[in-house]
Amino acid sequence: MGSKRYQRLRRAMGIVSVLLVAVTVVLGLWVTPPDVVQGQLVRLIYVHPPMAWVAYLAYGVTSLASVLYLWRRTRNLRWDLLAASSAEVGVIFTGLTLITGSIWGRPAWGVWWTWDARLTTTALLFVLYIGYLALRRIPADSHQRAVRSAIAGLIAFIDVPIVHQSVVWWRTLHQGATVLNPSLSPRIHGEMASTLLLGFIAFTFVYVWMLLHRYQIAALEQNVLDAELEKLIQERRNEPGLGSSQIESSGDANNVGQPSKV
Amino acid sequence: MVQSVSGGTGSGQPANSNKAKPRVLPSRRRARRAWAALGIVIVAIGFLLYKGLGNSLVYFRTAAGAVQDRAQLGNKTFRLEGVVVPGSIHTTGTGVDFSVESSNVFVQVHDIANPPQLFQPNIPVVLVGHFQQNIFLSNQIMVKHSASYVAAHPDRVATVNGKKL
Repeated sequence: MGSKRYQRLRRAMGIVSVLLVAVTVVLGLWVTPPDVVQGQLVRLIYVHPPMAWVAYLAYGVTSLASVLYLWRRTRNLRWDLLAASSAEVGVIFTGLTLITGSIWGRPAWGVWWTWDARLTTTALLFVLYIGYLALRRIPADSHQRAVRSAIAGLIAFIDVPIVHQSVVWWRTLHQGATVLNPSLSPRIHGEMASTLLLGFIAFTFVYVWMLLHRYQIAALEQNVLDAELEKLIQERRNEPGLGSSQIESSGDANNVGQPSKV
Repeated sequence: MVQSVSGGTGSGQPANSNKAKPRVLPSRRRARRAWAALGIVIVAIGFLLYKGLGNSLVYFRTAAGAVQDRAQLGNKTFRLEGVVVPGSIHTTGTGVDFSVESSNVFVQVHDIANPPQLFQPNIPVVLVGHFQQNIFLSNQIMVKHSASYVAAHPDRVATVNGKKL
């Protein structure tokens, strides 16, 4: 993971991400036309929906990794760390979705916030995954933490399709889907559509880049904790009058006997 | 996991056995903080569900639906939705008067707040207010724009310097 090849991949992802976001910004601000109703306000469309998409994607990855951890045949602490890393990135993008939506809503709708189903379920999604991250902070051994986090992550993910479908299931101030609408017929001008698509690709690259970084940090943190644990066990073993059997019986068998390898 | 080990060395141990202590918070304190954070999150979830159930399920009534339930609504404040009727907008000293329509049912609106910048004829709006006789008294206008994005000048052509008109 810390190999030069991996580092090169990360750097390349970073450069491509920055370039794609820069091109999206240039196209979104200067090349694409204003909207017939919204005028210049429409330019927020090139960042707001892509950020929401990345949040969905991040939580999808968290759920997939959680399932892979819960399934005994694929159980590995790497999946738990990937789930947590992806959830953190997802929370950042959900927060950005709420902020950019609010900035767009004030001039377009006339309000910063309203309690319609789309906004409420998105805020709920944000809080649910903050709860997921808070749950991970409760002291526990690696396996116990991974299992309960995986279950919490899967429960929180139920809100993702609810957020997406909220504009269909309930009356909302938020407009319906432009591209992924029930009739699957995009209602957007050509240049706007291509720039929006580029925005989706650009922010997906940003997500992967952030995830690679966050996962590496999580793995390093885990390695440090394992090394500390090994050291402490060794220190206690070296204490006069303490046998190794006493240490193993006094500690958590999952951790003491099997330090996690990441 | 480290905490359980370091916590065990916390009292009555030789000084050199506390080397790992500064690196982690005592496990009880850390647990208390984490539980407090989780408690705040649970309260926030409860608040959002309360607000969501109270507001989101019936976020607005259409003008047609509101007229149908006129007697039941009385002077109750609610959100009313309709399309602004062209030619009905008249600016007043305190706001704007206009009519909204839904399913061929028209409701006259007297608004006492500044309309948002996208307020215009033929645009759907959600109004917060109540009925007074047959007029809807509104103190907030929210514009509900569509999910369609149409270029303001779809047939733009490039000028000599490459810029589009």
